[in-house]
Amino acid sequence: MAVIRDVMPAFELFQPATIDDTMRLLGQYREDAWVMAGGLDTFDWLKDRIKRPKVVVDLSQVKELSGIREAGGGLEIGATTTLTEVVRHPIVREKYSILSTGAEAAASPQIRNQGTIGGNVSQDTRCWYYRAGWPCYRAGGNTCFADTPTAINREHAILGADRCVAVNPSDSAPALIALDAKFVVRTPKGERVVDAEDYFIGPGTDITRMNILRPGDLLTAIRLPADWAGTKFYFEKVRDRNVWDFPLMNVASAMVITDGKIERIRLALNAAAARPLRLAAVEDAVRGKEPNAATGEMAGRLAVQGARALRFNAYKIPLMRNLVKRAIGGVEKAAWA
Amino acid sequence: MSHRFPQVIVTFRQLNGGGSDPIAIDTRQRMGVYPSKSICGGLPMADHDIANPGTSAPLLVSRRDVIKGVIAAGAVSSASYLFRASTVWAQTSAPGAVERLVTLTVNGQQRRVDVMKQETLQTTLRYKLGLTGTKLGCDRSECGACTVLIDDVPHYSCSILTHTVRGKNIVTIEGLASADGKLHPVQQGVIDEQGFQCAFCMSGFVMAAVGYLKTNPNPTRAELAHGISGNLCRCQDYDKILNAMMRGAENLRRANRV
Amino acid sequence: MGLIEWATSPWGREVPIHIAFGLLWVSAIGGLLFLVVHAIYVGYWAKSAEAHAGEAVGASSGIAARVPERVARHSFGARLFHAVMALAMFALLFTAFLPKVGVRFAWVTYHWIAGVVLTISVIYHLFHATFWLDFWSIWPDRVDIEDAARRFRRAVGQAAPAPRKFAKYPLENKLYHLAILCAGLAVIGTGVLMMSRVRTPFLARDPYLFGFSDTTWGWMYVLHGLTGIALVALIIAHVYFALRPEKLFITNSMIFGSISREKYLEHHDPERWPVGERAPEAGAAGSKSREVPA
Ligand SMILES: Cc1cc2nc3c(=O)[nH]c(=O)nc-3n(C[C@H](O)[C@H](O)[C@H](O)COP(=O)(O)OP(=O)(O)OC[C@H]3O[C@@H](n4cnc5c(N)ncnc54)[C@H](O)[C@@H]3O)c2cc1C
Ligand code: HEM
Ligand code: FES
Ligand code: FES
Repeated sequence: MAVIRDVMPAFELFQPATIDDTMRLLGQYREDAWVMAGGLDTFDWLKDRIKRPKVVVDLSQVKELSGIREAGGGLEIGATTTLTEVVRHPIVREKYSILSTGAEAAASPQIRNQGTIGGNVSQDTRCWYYRAGWPCYRAGGNTCFADTPTAINREHAILGADRCVAVNPSDSAPALIALDAKFVVRTPKGERVVDAEDYFIGPGTDITRMNILRPGDLLTAIRLPADWAGTKFYFEKVRDRNVWDFPLMNVASAMVITDGKIERIRLALNAAAARPLRLAAVEDAVRGKEPNAATGEMAGRLAVQGARALRFNAYKIPLMRNLVKRAIGGVEKAAWA
Repeated sequence: MSHRFPQVIVTFRQLNGGGSDPIAIDTRQRMGVYPSKSICGGLPMADHDIANPGTSAPLLVSRRDVIKGVIAAGAVSSASYLFRASTVWAQTSAPGAVERLVTLTVNGQQRRVDVMKQETLQTTLRYKLGLTGTKLGCDRSECGACTVLIDDVPHYSCSILTHTVRGKNIVTIEGLASADGKLHPVQQGVIDEQGFQCAFCMSGFVMAAVGYLKTNPNPTRAELAHGISGNLCRCQDYDKILNAMMRGAENLRRANRV
Repeated sequence: MGLIEWATSPWGREVPIHIAFGLLWVSAIGGLLFLVVHAIYVGYWAKSAEAHAGEAVGASSGIAARVPERVARHSFGARLFHAVMALAMFALLFTAFLPKVGVRFAWVTYHWIAGVVLTISVIYHLFHATFWLDFWSIWPDRVDIEDAARRFRRAVGQAAPAPRKFAKYPLENKLYHLAILCAGLAVIGTGVLMMSRVRTPFLARDPYLFGFSDTTWGWMYVLHGLTGIALVALIIAHVYFALRPEKLFITNSMIFGSISREKYLEHHDPERWPVGERAPEAGAAGSKSREVPA
């Protein structure tokens, strides 16, 4: 339980009004600067005195970063657009409903009113050892407290662990990967556009970061291409309570079905590994097959290959198998429904 | 703590003195003359300010005021030491630099207040502006007790910087009732249904409901439950709370019709 | 910049966790600096001292007749070990330090695999050198120390008898072996224990396996890191010497196994490194040898 202490330790606050000014500030303060959008991931770190940036750059005044525009046949969502704005946007609801469902599954109404889509995909893991400020690998230390014979690790990874077993907790990330979204990143060297799945990185690559951003970088927008607009979507999040709780696992799929067969598919899932996983092997295996329970069954079994349970998270393996199955084969009506 | 009484009273009077336009800082606090004290030490648990719309300095210095004074002094002086040490403090001319003295629009009033960079809206409201109807439950966006409206949208005031809401319209529970003291229809719904037990969570629930009803004035019970799902009640009678909020919604629709 | 990074353990104690990886640059630059200074020293200053070179007391020329055309120096087993060890060493250095300088990849798996290869090769070498090779040939002996003292006295202009030629390994070579032995054993010893901290097929991952405290583990990481960066400097120096023209014949012998009779007679004392019929295990060598005669 978080302890309520005094006000946060002091930092210098900047509230730039333009992207250029923001980049200048980030370039100037580098490692000392902390980017803050809605601040809902940020404040825990600061209040608990675990991260102590000298400078906080608040993006709330940068108008260019916020809002949803139509662009290139699809949509461009500014990084500081709130989750609520994403959820309520008519075109998102109509053509990219998987994203509105995913974003609405996150956190609580008040958090969605303030938390941004950029912050949601860039948020840090919720591993509670790490969040408690213990000196684990992710904090720059030399051990993982969550993967020991006595660890409490019900929420942790079953795939892709490399020393650190934390998972990425974002609910919007798998939806964005399924939609083949592109992330627009400003670096001191210029603009970079990366595929959604390449925005995230695992601990093998960099054990202290969850995405490709380095000090001085800024996520400016997320683009949704037209390719997957209005296709057949599935999103499901499994969690303990229906509000606030991070996903134990979530899944998102977008499918194009022609003549009863899966012609195109993108399938992604989060909270199984330190980065949201795009299940490319499963996509390959189900292409050309009927989207039914048998295909889903096969897909589920394939998806969990190589999964490895920790002390308390073995349930995640059948959970993942079933979520993949449902994402492809749909949900059977329950007996009582 | 008794030996500190006189100083504390002075502090509190200065914090809220001058009625509606207090400048909530005292140079002696800034210099760290008063010792720091954790705000959780004196969290006032039983002050219901529903019937005290708007805000003004209390006329009498009660024990609670003294506690609040200590708290405010703590909040201010505990931060003061940081200004001396801050290496980047000098560079306020950079683009996006922030001035400490700000004007906030709270419950329709313009309030001048000296705000630390790291100060959350909840701290400003409760400890600088004396608007203690807004509660602090968890300070971690996990309970909703601190909910206020910012430009009509419910936010957790514990989890937003005061500097971020400059120029926005902030409404707290104290700002709901009309000038003549008539309660807001949702507040009336609470009374009609006796919706709460200890009511610590009440102001947060009411603010969340008022915010939600602006987007959906005629919700089903399930919709309203979803709309105010960002609030927790420790006494756990959500059914009764929902009754009250549904009644409030009805009251509101009726009030808007006439 | 501190030398060591510290953190607060869950129990509130200050514990070491790593070396400050900036030290990598100190080691790399130190190694390169040594290289430059040595090259200048050999190029200019040492030339003047060459006059003394001929004076070194050698064996009677009668022995020369017994020396074969090619003098075997490193057995096949020894060379194989050296190659495997060198590969593993480079793999370890690159996997460990590329990520530290910003090249990001999943390094730990490659690192521990190379670590296991190095460990096995070193264990092989320990047995091989102890029971099959001339174990003592790589350790500095009395003559080496005496000759070092003589060389030093002559270098500073005092009178001293001429130093003798080397046995199989020059003193510098022996000292290098000693340094690499210490660093190698430390990095291997700590590395093997650290394997319990990462996922490998050998053990269930268990950071508490040995009951070490956070502090003990911390110092272990510090030692692993320190010896790791020390190895950077040592390897730079080693590669430099291997590539120096006057040492190339030694480098060659680590690949092809032997040196020529001329080189043998020029640099080595047949009394101290007997070859030919009398020689035990011709060419057998403490193959941990490094071609570092100065
Ligand atoms: C109690 C609670 C419950 C929650 N439950 C869920 C949940 O169930 N599902 C879920 O998905 N999320 C959940 N969240 C997370 C919440 O959705 C995110 O914290 C929020 O969306 C983050 O947005 P933000 O703008 O507030 O982030 P911030 O705190 O402002 O930023 C988060 C991180 O991203 C970085 N960042 C933000 N924007 C940018 C940018 N434009 N460029 C570069 N870096 C940037 C920041 O530096 C910071 O490191 C929960 C949060 C809380 C507090
Ligand atoms: C040239 C030899 C070696 C060098 C330069 C080297 C260097 C390093 C460095 C710099 C690290 C990072 C340490 C840290 O994070 O503090 C590391 C980690 C590690 N090394 Fe080595 N190492 C070497 C040999 C070995 C050997 C021989 C083994 C095993 C037998 C080994 C096993 C490991 C393991 C398992 C880790 C990961 C530990 C962790 O991250 O918790 N290393 N090594
Ligand atoms: S006090 Fe703000 S949400 Fe609990
Ligand atoms: S009524 Fe007591 S906390 Fe809600």
